[in-house]
This record gives sequence, C-alpha cells and structure tokens, in this order.
Amino acid sequence: MKIFSESHKTVFVVDHCPYMAESCRQHVEFDMLVKNRTQGIIPLAPISKSLWTCSVESSMEYCRIMYDIFPFKKLVNFIVSDSGAHVLNSWTQEDQNLQELMAALAAVGPPNPRADPECCSILHGLVAAVETLCKITEYQHEARTLLMENAERVGNRGRIICITNAKSDSHVRMLEDCVQETIHEHNKLAANSDHLMQIQKCELVLIHTYAVGEDSLVSDRPKKELSPVLTSEVHSVRAGRHLATKLNILVQQHFDLASTTITNIPMKEEQHANTSANYDVELLHHKDAHVDFLKSGDTHIGGSSREGSFKETITLKWCTPRTNNIELHYCTGAYRISPVDVNSRPSSCLTNFLLNGRSVLLEQPRKSGSKVISHMLSSHGGEIFLHVLSSSRSILEDPPSISEGCGGRVTDYRITDFGEFMRENRLTPFLDPRYKIDGSLEIPLERAKDQLEKHTRYWPMIISQTTIFNMQAVVPLASVIVKESLTEEDVLNCQKTIYNLVDMERKNDPLPISTVGTRGKGPKRDEQYRIMWNELETLVRAHINNSEKHQRVLECLMACRSKPPEEEERKKRGRKREDKEDKSEKAVKDYEQEKSWQDSERLKGILERGKEELAEAEIIKDSPDSPEPPNKKPLVDMDETPPVEKSKGPVSLLSLWSNRINTANSRKHQEFAGRLNSVNNRAELYQHLKEENGMETAENGKASRQ
Amino acid sequence: MDDYDKTCLESALVGVCNIVQQEWGGAIPCQVVLVTDGCLGIGRGSLRHSLATHNQRSESNRFPLPFPFPSKLYIMCMANLEELQSTDSLDCLERLIDLNNGEGQIFTIDGPLCLKNVQSMFGKLIDLAYTPFHAILKCGHLTADVQVFPRPEPFVVDEEIDPIPKVINTDLEIVGFIDIADISSPPVLSRHLVLPIALNKEGDEVGTGITDDNEDENSANQIAGKIPNFCVLLHGSLKVEGMVAIVQLGPEWHGMLYSQADSKKKSNLMMSLFEPGPEPLPWLGKMAQLGPISDAKENPYGEDDNKSPFPLQPKNKRSYAQNVTVWIKPSGLQTDVQKILRNARKLPEKTQTFYKELNRLRKAALAFGFLDLLKGVADMLERECTLLPDTAHPDAAFQLTHAAQQLKLASTGTSEYAGYEHNITPLHTDFSGSSAERM
Repeated sequence: MKIFSESHKTVFVVDHCPYMAESCRQHVEFDMLVKNRTQGIIPLAPISKSLWTCSVESSMEYCRIMYDIFPFKKLVNFIVSDSGAHVLNSWTQEDQNLQELMAALAAVGPPNPRADPECCSILHGLVAAVETLCKITEYQHEARTLLMENAERVGNRGRIICITNAKSDSHVRMLEDCVQETIHEHNKLAANSDHLMQIQKCELVLIHTYAVGEDSLVSDRPKKELSPVLTSEVHSVRAGRHLATKLNILVQQHFDLASTTITNIPMKEEQHANTSANYDVELLHHKDAHVDFLKSGDTHIGGSSREGSFKETITLKWCTPRTNNIELHYCTGAYRISPVDVNSRPSSCLTNFLLNGRSVLLEQPRKSGSKVISHMLSSHGGEIFLHVLSSSRSILEDPPSISEGCGGRVTDYRITDFGEFMRENRLTPFLDPRYKIDGSLEIPLERAKDQLEKHTRYWPMIISQTTIFNMQAVVPLASVIVKESLTEEDVLNCQKTIYNLVDMERKNDPLPISTVGTRGKGPKRDEQYRIMWNELETLVRAHINNSEKHQRVLECLMACRSKPPEEEERKKRGRKREDKEDKSEKAVKDYEQEKSWQDSERLKGILERGKEELAEAEIIKDSPDSPEPPNKKPLVDMDETPPVEKSKGPVSLLSLWSNRINTANSRKHQEFAGRLNSVNNRAELYQHLKEENGMETAENGKASRQ
Repeated sequence: MDDYDKTCLESALVGVCNIVQQEWGGAIPCQVVLVTDGCLGIGRGSLRHSLATHNQRSESNRFPLPFPFPSKLYIMCMANLEELQSTDSLDCLERLIDLNNGEGQIFTIDGPLCLKNVQSMFGKLIDLAYTPFHAILKCGHLTADVQVFPRPEPFVVDEEIDPIPKVINTDLEIVGFIDIADISSPPVLSRHLVLPIALNKEGDEVGTGITDDNEDENSANQIAGKIPNFCVLLHGSLKVEGMVAIVQLGPEWHGMLYSQADSKKKSNLMMSLFEPGPEPLPWLGKMAQLGPISDAKENPYGEDDNKSPFPLQPKNKRSYAQNVTVWIKPSGLQTDVQKILRNARKLPEKTQTFYKELNRLRKAALAFGFLDLLKGVADMLERECTLLPDTAHPDAAFQLTHAAQQLKLASTGTSEYAGYEHNITPLHTDFSGSSAERM
C-alpha cells in the first residue's frame, strides 16, 4: 500500500468558457403534478441542465463518494478555467469537504454565454493544475519531516481530471502537449525549491463532453504513456447522466472501489405504513472488503447495478438483527461506505438505521445453499463501515482452556477487584494538547502507563494472599493511596481509616485472614492484626515517594500500628513465657481476657493522640510484657507530656520487674469495666446513652468479597 | 488421463493452493513444506516444463505461485547440495521461491544421505519456522511469561515510505482498558492465543501448565497450575466485565487482549493486532491521545457508568448524514421540488419547513449554476398562488409571492441576490406574527 500514490492528489479542471453554458439537451421534468390536482392545469415546461451544470454536479458526486470513503489523505483541488484559472480551494484538510466546494462554485456561478470565447481557454486551468500538483500537501510535509534524511521516499504523484468541450483530436493533443510542457517547466522550478515538489507521475484524464444528440468530434483513447512522467487517457462522453455515470466509474477505478448490493432490506411502505416490502441498496467501498470473494472465486454476483454501470456488484443479504447484544466479532477489515444513490428512500432508510447505532449482519449466499455471515454494517461516530467478518476455518480450533494452563487451578483470583481496577484504568481521549511543568508535551498514553504502574505497586492476585483488600474498612485508604498526589481530605480519610483499624483491633474484631494451607484455626487474633498491619504498611510504603502527603499517611500508620518491628521478637518471647504461666495456672480464658485488657490499654493512648494531631505522633511503646499500669499514672496531663523516654532505648530492669508484678497482680482479679474502657484513666460515665443514640459505629472487616 | 505416479510439482502446488483456500481462506498465513528428492520430473508437468511455460499462462491455468495467501514455501531436498548443483535442479527450485515473492527457503542435507542428517535438516526447519514466540505480558508491576501463538508476522505499513517490516515487541505492555461496546468489533491483522508459560531459572520453558500424558511433565505442570498467574486473573476480569485491554506492541503499534470463548466451558486469553499506525481505529482517535480517566475533569464514563467518551465524532459529516443535494437522477430533483410544493400547500402552518427546503434547493441550484431551475420553481410557486382555495389563509399568498420573487432575483445570478450564504427569510406580514409560530 502506498499513501502517496496518484490518488493522494486529484485536481479537477472544469471548463467555464461560454460554450459550457449551452444546454445538454436532456430534459428534466420538475413539475410533477399530484394526481388529484391535475385537472385543467398544464405542467410547466421541462428544463434542461447546461454542460456546466452537468460537469459540476458530476464532479461533486465524484468528490462526495471520495470524501465519504476516504475522508483523509485523499485530496481534491478544484480549478475552474475561463479567461484565467480560478483555484477554488487548497490541499489543506480543512478545505476538503463538499460544503466548501459548493460555496466556492456558487461564487463562480455559471459561465457567461456572452463572454468573448477568444479570451477563454481550458489551458489556463491545466497550467494551474500542474502548478498546484507541485505544491506540497500537509501529509507530504509531515511524512518528509518524519523521515528526515529519507525524505526523498515521499512521492509526489497526482491526477488531473479535466472536463471540457474539445474541438477535435488535434485539440486534445495540443492540451496534452501543454500539460507535458508545463510539467517539465515546473519540475525545474520545483527542483530549486523547498516547499515545492517535483511531479514524479501525473495521470491526465481528459473528458470531452458534448450535448446529447450532437456528434462527438473527439475519439476515446485508452491510457497511454506520453512520457515517463505523464500518462493520458481521453473519454468522449455525452453530457447529462452519461457524464455522471462516467465519473462514477472513474471514481471507482481511481480509488479501487467495489460495489456491494444489500438485498432484502425490509422497509415500511410510504403509503401503507403497515405493509413492508424488501428493497435493495447499492453501496461503494474499498475493494478489499471483497478480498475473500476475489481470492476464493466463490463469488455470487448479482445482476449488474440498475443504472447499467460497468461494474459488477456483490449481493449480500440483510439479516434482521434480533438482539442488541454487544459482541466482539473477529473482523479482518473495516471499510467506509458511500451509498450510490445517497438520497433515495431505501438508501436513507438504511443509513439512518445504522446511524442510530444498530449493526446489521450480512449473509453471503453461496452456490451450495449454505449460509455464511461474511460482513457486518455498523456505524461508529456517524461514519458507516462495512466490516469483513472472518468466515473461513480458524487455525485456533479447540485450544486448551485457560483453566488448564499455568495458574489455571487457582480458584481465588480477585476477579471482581481486578474488574474494578480495569474500570479505574479505562482510557478516554484527550484531544487538546497538555503540557508538563517543564513545558514539554504530555502524552496521555504515557500518563495511562504511569497510572498502571502506580496502581499495581502492591496488588496481590489472589484473595488468600491478602488481608487488607478483603476488608471494606481499608477501601478508603487503598483507593486513594495509589494516586499521584493527595488532597488534605484524602490524607484525612487515610488517617480515619487507620484509626478505624486501630479501633477494630481494640475491639478485637475478627479479620478476614485466609486459613488456606494452614492447619487448625489459623493464626491468633493478634497475629492476624500483625499481618494486616504489615500488609498495609507494604501498600503505603510503595507510594511514599509520590508526595509529602503520602509520607504523612505512612507516619500516621507507623504511629498507630501496634508493633514496631524491633519489638516483634520481644513480644514473641514474652508470649512464650506467658503461655507457660497460663498452662501452669490452667486458665486459658484468663489469657484472652488479659489480651483484651492489654489491647484496650494499648489503644487508649493511641486513640487520644489520634484524635488530635496524628502526623506528629511518635512511636508508641507497647509490649505485652509491659502494659501501662492503669493506676500508675493517674495524671490528667498525660497526653500533653508524652512518655518520650519510654519509647526509646532499652527498658530498665525496674520497669520490667514492676510490669511483671503488675501483670501478675492484674491477672488475679477482673479489671473494672470502667478502667478497662477508660481513656487516660478517665472513664466516661453513662456511655450506653451515646451508644443507644447510634453515635458509635464501627465497621467490621468483611469476611470475603464475593 | 492424469498420472499420479510421476513427479509433477505444479499439480501438487495447485492442490495445496486449493486446499488451503477452501479450508482457511485467503488471509491466514500458511507454511508450505515441500519434501522432494530434488528430481523435477520429466516431460510435460515437470518443473522445467512448468517454468518454461510460465510466461504463457492465462487466468484459467495460472501458475500456483505466488500463493494467493500469505505463505512461506520451504523446500526440503533429500539430497545434498553438490548433487543438486550438478544439474539445474537447484536453480529451478530457487525460481519457485522467487516466484513466491522470495517467501521461503531451500534446505539441503549436509553430508551423506542418512537418517541422522535428514533429522538435522528438519531440525533446522523447526528452528527457523516453528520456534514459539515468547513474550512478557505486563500491566504495571503485574507480569506473566507468555507464549503467543501463532507467531505474529512482521508487517509492512507502506512499502514506499517505510519498507522495513515492523516486528512486535517481546514486552507486551498493557496501557489501559476499554469496554467491548466502545472498541466495537475493530478490524485486526491477525489474532493469537496468549498462553501463560512457566519458565525455569535458565529461562527455558518448563511447560504451558497443560496436563500431558508424560509423567514427569505432569508434576511440573501441576505445580505451575497452582501458582497464581496474571493471565488467568486478567482473562477472568476481562470476561466478567466485558472489556478489552489495549496493549502496546511497539512504537505506534497496538493490539487488544480479550477473552474468547470457544464453548461454554472453554475460554481463552486472545490478542488481536491492529494495523500499525498512530490511529488504527478512527472511532478511538489517536492512540497516543488516550489517557487515564482520572486526568479528566469529570469521569467521562459518568458517575453511574452510563455514558462513554467513545466513539469520537469526525469533524465533517459524511454525505449520508448531512442531507446533501444530488440531482443526477431526475427523481432526486423531483423529490426536492415536491417537498417544497407540499409545504407550500400547507402555508402558513409549514412556513419554516417551506423556507428551509426552499433555501436548500436555492443553494444547490446556485452551486451547480442551475439558474433555470430557480426560475422554474418561481413560476411554479406563482401558479400555486393562483390555485389557492378561497379558504386559504391570506398569509399563504403573501409568502408564495415573496418566495417566487426572491427566487427570480437569485436566478439572475447577480451577486446582490445570488449569495450562497444568503437565505430567503419568511415575509413579515400582519398575519405571520402568530401563524408562523404555530408549526
């Protein structure tokens, strides 16, 4: 495939000399009287189009089909020639649409039959056409810039379609010579210019048109090479619909188009809305949409199109869509279409149906009588495409199922969570350029990759590998911590999440820890919380470099989480010792009680501080060996004088001893409920009043997400 | 009578050609392995004869090469190079590769003809043509080793500007996700199975985890089956959510990953390759311009997931979506004139539609330089005016006369009245104030 083939640039040169104002002598009845009003009224005389009108509307039809099927990279330059050349548009993409051309043509108006024929010539237009072919298009410019030292690979070819009324074969020859000469001259000019390109190849299509009933003074001639740069062909065509048909054939040849007729389209009758009849609509599109037919030779060719165009059309049968199911079809090509008869009722019915968002499958009738769905018509954003669906055998028949391969036996993937992840990482177009802080262009797709990188820094794939992602309580933190930057509100939400977890731990809420692969009941509750805190720390740590606010979340977490790492070991040792004692006293229940008591002890300080400024909170000293003696510090201002020295350095022998005694003592009696729940040794009275009013709500970790 | 007991390579190739096309169509790449002893046959039907008559073929007895499908022709000669070079056999076989647009290769035996050397020759073919394509599928930090089957073929975008075939990366990087409804059955170059594989430390493939009859492999595969794999997670979620993952295959080259169901039970992770280029799918726009939704001011999918930023609308509408005027067939013109007439008879109720249709006709007539039509329609409106029944609203007559007059002025072609952008507006009458609004 070549982008810069002859069809990249098409120049229309239409004769605007006085003789083009002559009638094509083909009458159009425009006054079609409605039956019940015909009595006594004589219809107005039919009118006829001028040669000019025929030429213009045929070339507009050529452009309409071309723009429908190739809205980009196929460009038209329209030139009108009389006493001089009038170039109606440029190669720029903005100029490439019918409205622009129609407006420009209206400004030119029909040829003036009273102008001096001696001054007028098609030659002006042909010279201008060669000139314009040397001008670089934005696509050529872009490709040249991109290729740098290989810029010479960008070709400059083009086609001139000239519609005129020639006097004779020798007149035609003169026109060809002129084009030949002009190309030669302009190529010399272009060789010394940066913004002009030499013409490598030019196809001249000369169309001699004349009124119906006249004899043609010019003979047809197939394509002939006049020089290595120039080929020329001559078509002698009667005006009116003959000219239109000719240009329709040419546009198909020039742009490798093919025709498909959709048959059996059910349509409500205009007069009788409750009856429906079947219609056919002929569409044009790139011929690659028929590639399977051409190669396999299994073509089922319907009758050639009604207007007797030269082309064969392939017939495909409409299959009324039954569901609106969204399916991903295996589609090997999609080609824009253009209806041959755009304004006819069947055509507009079909196109409107598609533009409203419905897709239609098309069936290929085969000689054998079997039915094969081979194509689909579907619109995307107001453009209709003919999709080619693969109808031959797949080489991927009977592949092993994904469940039989690597990781296929694992049953607890976080499918729903990853689904949520995918939704958050959906793409959307950013059409306006954005710039980074350093002024360089920001590529949205790179941003998307960055986001995926951030969102997957810690992402366990299976449910049994994670605790925090199975807890509803963690969601507010987990959903924002992956962000590039946090707002103050985000930080606050993260902190709240952490306090909430601390609260859960204090209340000894169960955690959704997986017991897969472990014997018995799984880890003990405090071990569960340790795992949970570790995991949460891993998640937050993965993002601390994102911003200073992420850092603050980590600080809060470290301040609140129960076990600073260096004390883990001591805790384990301590527990072993306790376990022994427990066994000797045979009081397993007591152990649990002690645990909850310790938890509450551990928490009260944390909660207090948490409610104030957490970011500044320091490491909380805490160990089962050394619970804070409840009666030891009945000071009111405890929170204002944080026990700094306690949090750092080794524990003194005295404190170890007294803690031990206190622990032993405390086990001998049941702690007062008030002291147990007290904050800073101050117990709030009549707490139940609050609870009844629903003030205290705590979220439980959810057991499983599915 | 057809002889089936003599060497006739052309018939064999024709046979291959037909079988492949019937079975797979013309788009699926196919490797054709021709095993020969290097003798080309004798007389009619011999390769020498086929090649000698190559230039005298008609459409009906076209030489089967180049194959009408993407292909590689591998010729395995059960003979060593010296033997082949002693005759013109090798030249003829090379011609075959040339005729297949250079796609293919000839293999010969090194040393004497024996089982070991034949095995080594086929070993070379396997290495060349059947090595699996290994890649790493990445989504941020989530990764999986995968085999892509069949091997993705190199692709030439534009033989003139960029003649070097593009090859896909071995790092397949997911860049984001799109709903199936939005990607909307896109055209693809090819599609491939993405199979997770387990690699040992040396990077050799241990297995695809698929249970085999082999005992030893079985245990290794069973272990691989129990290790969580990103492909399985991705596949499951794509299937449940009805989405595809957009994957970057190289510079300006993308594809999509999706779940493909073979049957109710079996489904697989598949990858389809889009055509290389900055904008493979017009309805998605430029790939580089796709970014994360979190960068948008508001979620383009809506808070309730009830809308979508896709498809993108093109700047200009296509002809079938913009009510263009085409008068090539008389019926096109007649329909447009009838529309005006129908509305003219329902004046003043249809004043707005009447003028809309009138202006549409006026614009087209001016662009086509079809001024006679304007005159004709003006005459027609004047006649309509005379035919108005006594019961007609008085405004109807005023509007018809006004419209006819304006068309006549436009038909003079003078710039004052024939401006393309100019529109004929309804005449303000004592009656029009209320009636024109009624439609």
